[in-house]
Amino acid sequence: MIRARDFTRIDEYLYELPAGYRQDMRVPARFYADEQLLRGLAEDRSLEQLVNTATLPGIAGYALAMPDIHQGYGFPIGGVVATALPDGVISPGGVGYDINCGVRLLASRLEMEEVEPHLDRLASSLFTNCPSGVGQGGHVGLKPHELDDVLENGARWALRRGFADAEDLERTEEGGCLAGADAGKVGPRARERGRGQVGTLGAGNHFIEIDSVERIVDEDAARRIGLFQRQVVVQIHCGSRGLGHQVCTDYVQLYQKAVRRYELALPDRELVCAPLSSPEGQDYLAAMKAAANYAFANRQALAFHIRRSFEQVLAGSVANFHLYQIYDIAHNMAKIETHRLSGQTLSLCVHRKGATRAFGPGSEVLPPAYQDTGQPVLVPGSMGTASWVLVGTQASMAQTFGSTCHGAGRTMSRHQAKKSVHGHTLRRELEDRGIRVRAGSLSGLAEEAPAAYKDVDRVVAIVHGAGIAKQVARLKPLAVIKG
Amino acid sequence: MTGPDNMQGPVRFEEIEHTADRALRIYGATWEAFLLNAAKGMNSLLATAPGRSRARKSKEIDLQTIDAESLLVAWLSELAYWAEAESLVFDQFVFHELETTRVRSTVAGATVEKLDRHVKAVTYHDLKIAKDAAGFSATVVFDV
Repeated sequence: MIRARDFTRIDEYLYELPAGYRQDMRVPARFYADEQLLRGLAEDRSLEQLVNTATLPGIAGYALAMPDIHQGYGFPIGGVVATALPDGVISPGGVGYDINCGVRLLASRLEMEEVEPHLDRLASSLFTNCPSGVGQGGHVGLKPHELDDVLENGARWALRRGFADAEDLERTEEGGCLAGADAGKVGPRARERGRGQVGTLGAGNHFIEIDSVERIVDEDAARRIGLFQRQVVVQIHCGSRGLGHQVCTDYVQLYQKAVRRYELALPDRELVCAPLSSPEGQDYLAAMKAAANYAFANRQALAFHIRRSFEQVLAGSVANFHLYQIYDIAHNMAKIETHRLSGQTLSLCVHRKGATRAFGPGSEVLPPAYQDTGQPVLVPGSMGTASWVLVGTQASMAQTFGSTCHGAGRTMSRHQAKKSVHGHTLRRELEDRGIRVRAGSLSGLAEEAPAAYKDVDRVVAIVHGAGIAKQVARLKPLAVIKG
Repeated sequence: MTGPDNMQGPVRFEEIEHTADRALRIYGATWEAFLLNAAKGMNSLLATAPGRSRARKSKEIDLQTIDAESLLVAWLSELAYWAEAESLVFDQFVFHELETTRVRSTVAGATVEKLDRHVKAVTYHDLKIAKDAAGFSATVVFDV
């Protein structure tokens, strides 16, 4: 078993295992941590999973993990792997089952005190209007063939259906639509699973949360982004629902054959992959983009429901209750991007599995509003704790293929969390702290207990200290809605 | 062919700690027992109580894969799909054809009012089915 002590500290927050450590590694493995997080990493197999990703054919530079690294399946969660085009591989397991799981941040022009008297009704309205739970269908009915439109156009479909403001799309990664998506590459069962779930939250660690801006760290960046002290904002954390899960399941199964065909030797079958230049590679890329577009559309439809809830509850009582979009980011995705590595400009397929794109100031893919600040990075903490808004930096472009952390990262298994935390008790503790809770499942609530996660402040302090993102504002929860 | 009572007998799976997801160690003296215990193990994640609905539903499952591990993943993925799509938890399994790379089966169960957990997917992570004198065993990680 690989241990944290096998790694060498090469910078204040950066550890490396050289490519020669294990015979099948093609590049070094690196991760960001401080000494305390380093000790915690010995508890599970996440570092071994990181080393396994360093064996992927065509991997460029180094296999990376962010400080929220924890054990996943195949890739560690918090992993970043870039493979060089044309023949580097793409791995469905490197994106994960919840394709384009991500976070959207909406902001009001209201201060906490203005919303506080209405919070109970707001939480209940959100729980009613935003369907949650396992396999739960939504209120958005799709006409025959409309699913293809969702898959190929993502948030643009939502704009045409009246679920979006034009500005929302501008403030969404990739404008809410990945070019090259092909609905025809999404299998029948995936389509079946996706047809009724647009505008739904799902279960697990997905949530909607009303927060207030508790602390501004970077006044200038906060102002440019549209954040101010005591402001009420809303986070949405969810992805592509059953459709994305099925796309990944289908292609992981299909790629078991591709691995044999292309004679790829891998340390874990969940790492199955195919050269990007191969028909299998292109098919998955087109299907993954379609699932990613579905997720953009899903978060957009949820944003519509959330705006409706704010209107239903606040209209007539509070003026100016409209929610505008700060940003929407993906943290499970593979993207074709251009990066500089060892003095060369390369076209790379950057897999981010539980990691967030964090492009720095001046990046041509960012909207004009964020050209000077860098891309907003949304880092939700564990339930009931804090969340962060960061911005991407030039250092993230140089060190991590423009990537940074995505959350707190688990330290305790769901099984253990359920044994040590009771849903009822947790709910009461949260409510005693003034946090409204609306949850479909108390056992699901217990699995997401804050004790099961790392300290998000520590994780964020590491990426800030390492320079791969910059702190802007800390959010604290007012109400949590979970499936 | 195995009849409706084939879910009886000792529980032959156990939960293994996994940081982010859920993992089960599954055992079976025969390939058939192994697939049944795998189904029973996944049921324990999906719902703690059996379905109360009187109306039972059955589904036909027909899978052909390249190896035994793929069959196990495909089998459980099929059952997880029906759990999500129709809240169906199966407790009766009739096997018409069964090999390590092939299964044709009629499965039946009742709908539950609400699933306890969403099994998003069944993974291949470190999946290797071992066979020894005691039968088959494997650890399966579920994305939840």
